[in-house]
Amino acid sequence: MEKLIFFMLLLSIKGEGNLMPLKAEEMFLNELLPKEIKGWVAEEDNLYDPQSIFEYIDGAGEVYRAYNFKLLFSRRFKKEKAPDLVADIFDMGDSKDAYGVFTHDLEGEDAHIGQGSTYKGGLLSFWKDRFFVSLYAEEESLDSREALFELGRKVADAIGREGKMPELVSLLPSELHLKNIRYFHNHLILNYHFFVADENILHLDQETEAVLAELKKEDETNILLLIRYPDRERAEKAQASFLNTYMPEAKKTGLIQEEDLKWTSVSQKENFVVVVFNASTGFEAEYLSEMLLGKIFR
Amino acid sequence: MKKKSFTRRDFLKVAMLAPFSGALFPGLKSEHREGELIKKAKVVLIRDKNALLSFKKPNPSVIQRMLDEAVCALFGEGEPLKAWKIMIKSSDVVGIKSNVWSYIPTTPEVEQAIKRRVMDAGVSEDKIGIDDRGVRTNPVFRKATALINVRPARTHHWSGVGTCIKNYIMFVPRPWDYHHDSCADLATIWKDYNLKEKTRLNILLMLNPLFHGIGPHHYSDRYVWEYKGILLGEDPVAVDATGVRVLEAKRREFFGEERPLQPPAKHVFLADTRHNLGTSNPQKIELIKLGWEEGALI
Repeated sequence: MEKLIFFMLLLSIKGEGNLMPLKAEEMFLNELLPKEIKGWVAEEDNLYDPQSIFEYIDGAGEVYRAYNFKLLFSRRFKKEKAPDLVADIFDMGDSKDAYGVFTHDLEGEDAHIGQGSTYKGGLLSFWKDRFFVSLYAEEESLDSREALFELGRKVADAIGREGKMPELVSLLPSELHLKNIRYFHNHLILNYHFFVADENILHLDQETEAVLAELKKEDETNILLLIRYPDRERAEKAQASFLNTYMPEAKKTGLIQEEDLKWTSVSQKENFVVVVFNASTGFEAEYLSEMLLGKIFR
Repeated sequence: MKKKSFTRRDFLKVAMLAPFSGALFPGLKSEHREGELIKKAKVVLIRDKNALLSFKKPNPSVIQRMLDEAVCALFGEGEPLKAWKIMIKSSDVVGIKSNVWSYIPTTPEVEQAIKRRVMDAGVSEDKIGIDDRGVRTNPVFRKATALINVRPARTHHWSGVGTCIKNYIMFVPRPWDYHHDSCADLATIWKDYNLKEKTRLNILLMLNPLFHGIGPHHYSDRYVWEYKGILLGEDPVAVDATGVRVLEAKRREFFGEERPLQPPAKHVFLADTRHNLGTSNPQKIELIKLGWEEGALI
């Protein structure tokens, strides 16, 4: 317990986003996980960084790298005549990125653990402070599910404090009751959820912040994309790039009816760009765009 | 000349012209003129309800019989050995490129069934290698004159699917260099490393495919089903495109709605339209179905 308090103090001194020396970081992550849970006993620990993560989870490592992950601490638990449990704790360096990587996969029932969580198919995921936690049973059963939930509660308690969500998410109009809100930085993640273009025509990178959300209606779903750039000049260039590549025939208006007869609009103000896809009318696309920007600059 | 960016609108244009093909073949331009004879790529799908002894354990004798029947159908031969001798000469050095992904590996039963027939074709045992992650340093693979490409079908977190085209990723020194744009250009490996000419047969195991992935490990038993099939052919793109159709059909059946692969299996179709590795167009694939019909999905 004293060791845990020591490391918590070290963390508070260092502040969110600043990593401790590697060994200290490893020890801290180690302390977040118990050695035993409902008869499952810790057997193997491993530590991965952004270069070595591919050895562990192959191409899926790109997702965590897209969110600037710093370290991954993995612990395998074993129990006789039971499937293994695998705990993966990602130190994302920042609570915004922990939240972001959590939004990459929102499928599942709410497990009510941490600051946001899901459970499905033997996988319990949650985010809290700068950590994204994935707890996984290699075969799903009632026992393994109970063990995962117990493990999740212990890890969440050990993490302790909560972190801030990205401010960009709070800029979305709450009255729209948007669904599947995803926070990210780069175009690879954007394309994963909603393919826009194979090239990075919106000039997204690790310095930009973006939110993709769905406005679900009875007979259609509008797609809203809100992007914050470091400065106005970059936002202007990104909008110009999008206009030139995506809707060259509508450079002046930034509004176009696409091949599936749905409408898309792009707007820019200061260091923000808003793109609305899949609107049923041009008016609707522009209305939603103005609503988003209006909330930001009210 | 700068490559033109491919956007969502280009995808919609193709989809509007040919609904099915547009969903699967972005950028496809029809080369078929009315009345023109098309040489089709043959793909054999064979299924047997006794193919598995238990959930992940193939039945060795049934697997051998399935492979024999399938290669006979592929080459129009009545006897398996004659079919294998069309592919393999006794002077060949043969690499069997397998897949060791822990959740659904190729399995020794399948590997040995292939090796047995390669030996029956006259190749001595010391000139046959079976490997996956060690192919770059494996002495047999380094001097291989013939390759048999074999792996189980599954969804993949970054490339959409892990199928025959992707199975050759271990021939490159830095696999992550191919992650860009959901691994869009995996097909270039086949040309850059002289693999296309050496590959005599592509076998996509559909015994117990994974049709949906969750979490960092992209696996849950919940999303595996016993299809008990094997797809094979000389054209890796045709084999993979057929496998993708099966996975998509299963997802439709399981989720009760259209649930496209996420990310889409773009690299399979770009292997056709951008890299000319083979054909992904069902109209240019002759699918020969053998054996158990129930639950075939395509």
